[in-house]
Amino acid sequence: MTPAGFFTWLWDRLNVFATVFLGIFVEAVPYLLLGTLASGLVEVFLDRDQMSRWISGRPIAAAVSGAFMGMIFPVCECGVVPLTRRLFHKGLPLSAGISFLLAAPVLNPIVILSTAAAFGWGQMLFWRIGLSLLIAIVTGLIFSVEKEAGNVLRPSLTLSNEHIHANPESENSFPGKIREALLITADEFFEMGRYLVFGSVLAAALQTFISQSALLTIGSGPVLSVLVMLGLAVLLSICSTVDAFVALGFVGTFSFGSVLSFLVFGPMVDIKSVLMYLQVFKRRSVFYIVAIPFMMSLLSGLVFNYLFP
Amino acid sequence: MKTRLTLDTVAGSVLVLTAVLVGLVILYGVMAGIRISTNLPQDGLISPLQTITLTFSEPVHFEAVASVVSMDPVVDGYLELVDERTVQFIPIKPFDLDTSYKLTISPDVLALNGHALKKAHTWEFKVRDPLIVYLSPNVKDSSIWALDLNGSPSRRLTSADIKIIAFDASPDGEFIVFTVINEQGGVDLWKVTRDGSDVSILLDCGPERCTRTAISPNGKMIAYSREAAGISPGLPFGSPRIWVLNLQNGTNSPVYEDEQIIGYGPSWSPDSNKLASFDGLADQIRVLDLKENKQYIFPSNTGGPITWSPDSTKILFTNVVQMEDGLRTQVYIADLLLNKSQTLLGENDDLDHAYYSLAWSSVEERAVLGFRISEEQPMQILWLFDPALLEGIVIANQEEYSYNSPQWDPWGNSLIFQRFKLSGAFNPEIGLWRQGLNEPVILAPGLMPHWLP
Repeated sequence: MTPAGFFTWLWDRLNVFATVFLGIFVEAVPYLLLGTLASGLVEVFLDRDQMSRWISGRPIAAAVSGAFMGMIFPVCECGVVPLTRRLFHKGLPLSAGISFLLAAPVLNPIVILSTAAAFGWGQMLFWRIGLSLLIAIVTGLIFSVEKEAGNVLRPSLTLSNEHIHANPESENSFPGKIREALLITADEFFEMGRYLVFGSVLAAALQTFISQSALLTIGSGPVLSVLVMLGLAVLLSICSTVDAFVALGFVGTFSFGSVLSFLVFGPMVDIKSVLMYLQVFKRRSVFYIVAIPFMMSLLSGLVFNYLFP
Repeated sequence: MKTRLTLDTVAGSVLVLTAVLVGLVILYGVMAGIRISTNLPQDGLISPLQTITLTFSEPVHFEAVASVVSMDPVVDGYLELVDERTVQFIPIKPFDLDTSYKLTISPDVLALNGHALKKAHTWEFKVRDPLIVYLSPNVKDSSIWALDLNGSPSRRLTSADIKIIAFDASPDGEFIVFTVINEQGGVDLWKVTRDGSDVSILLDCGPERCTRTAISPNGKMIAYSREAAGISPGLPFGSPRIWVLNLQNGTNSPVYEDEQIIGYGPSWSPDSNKLASFDGLADQIRVLDLKENKQYIFPSNTGGPITWSPDSTKILFTNVVQMEDGLRTQVYIADLLLNKSQTLLGENDDLDHAYYSLAWSSVEERAVLGFRISEEQPMQILWLFDPALLEGIVIANQEEYSYNSPQWDPWGNSLIFQRFKLSGAFNPEIGLWRQGLNEPVILAPGLMPHWLP
């Protein structure tokens, strides 16, 4: 390649990089804002006693109720991280928090409707919800054996609450509480936003320099197709609210099981969400949060490819 | 001694367990080989022109699949690769009634990754009894009804609330497309499934009129005439143009980009590759070969029906010519291979027979033509003839009745038609002529009969 040709190629790649980066970032920002807003409201309006009343301390019940909490919070994988962190701060049991973290990006109403719009009210939607719930609950249950939250969560989980208690009088009034919630939202948005930017840069760089078509080419066969779709789920880092429409494009090229594994695993783990997980959990915990859904999604995809082709 | 569970031991165990399960599933899959599923129904009853889809669990070599697929008895058709895991058998001629077919795939290495089909797969199926669908003759109830030939009562497929103008049945018998006037004064396309369970709008044409639908024999496209709305309400519609709605990818566009080319009454060739239509502005029949992107033009001024030979190389149509003693309707045959048309019937007629209804069956030597015997009598009779020999027999000529709208079944053995009495109240009826019958039989009161195979 001549130097001129190299620079032309590099310029093209940089254009692609900028486009992909903006695509991922702009798509995710509103949901991060929504998640941090929910987090701010939780901090101000929910106290630890209420949390302990609502969420059972028993591991199975906590994991199941945590998974179903996603149905009432319209957050995707970006917004769910700050919200989960806040809920942990309010005393949410580990098992409930983990299952909420993994299930909420799929179980929220927007994602259910978008999946139904893309695939209809049929098998794909049913299995996406069912498997996401199963994986979230199993992972939550696994974490329930850890009695000491400090072994799972990062010590820096203590949040920057300098705005709280700044003005005890205004705090008790409703407008004052809203103001506090918004201040917390802003703080947390900028804190988690950094990792969203880093994650988006990384995902855009990988997409720019790793050919998606090359991945698709090697992705034939019942095993490789699932692995490729799991890899794409991480690489593309698409928000779960729109990933069903992207997945629809793979139908025909990839088997049902492969597309399903993409739809189940993608909302739980991608580059930007892993970077955010690292701000909340210790590395060992993040490894399990990534590895367990990965293995279970792989198993699900293979079961569908081999047993129900 | 009580062992305390830790996150590492539990998570590690789950990961190991899932890894083992992944290994077992892969092992099972490798041992079981390639799996195949088809679209053949559970009851084994199919349409005579059913496309059979084979879906493999893994990407396959098309040539390898083609070499191991067999049909007993043999049916004219071809295999087509839809995507790397899907192969279709598309019949050229219909499967026979009252014949049991066996589709077999023999074991062999079929997958791109070297995996084999470990055991032979066989599916058995038969052709279902065809239905006849027609429009209710009741002015207040313009709905579609279905009738079988076993004597069961007719069954309504669409609600009486939907006022249907006209319809066409898909050649594989799976659905019907019909036209309905909408609130804006335009005409929309609707669709109803074979059993009437699903009625839905297919194309909202807004203030424009979408009429004269023709479903392609492969069931993938619908051609129709589309007339633009007038500039303001009450003004006439624009000239009709031929559009095609692709049912596979949803695209909907005019066939000819040139807006000056108008078209009416589209008609598909049996191989679905050619589309004929009538251009009333230029007094021409235009035939567009969509596969070769080639156009044929033949003079015609009647706008009457166009019918295709079974091999898709010829068309029959009518044309009116001025003779010394007046106008004569003639039947023309156009050969697309020679790009030439010639008079087939009527050149030496001493009176105008007003040839109109034309239908060429799937059997080369069998076509039907409607015409009047005398200029004093408007009644039309139906004549079964061989287009090559021009010899034939009259199959429907009862006095006081006029016959039209003939439609052949997929095998070219039975013909349905519409007849009505020339005097008295308008009571159209659906009739059936079948080889071996001396006289046609009347099936039910109705209009616009179509086969729903």
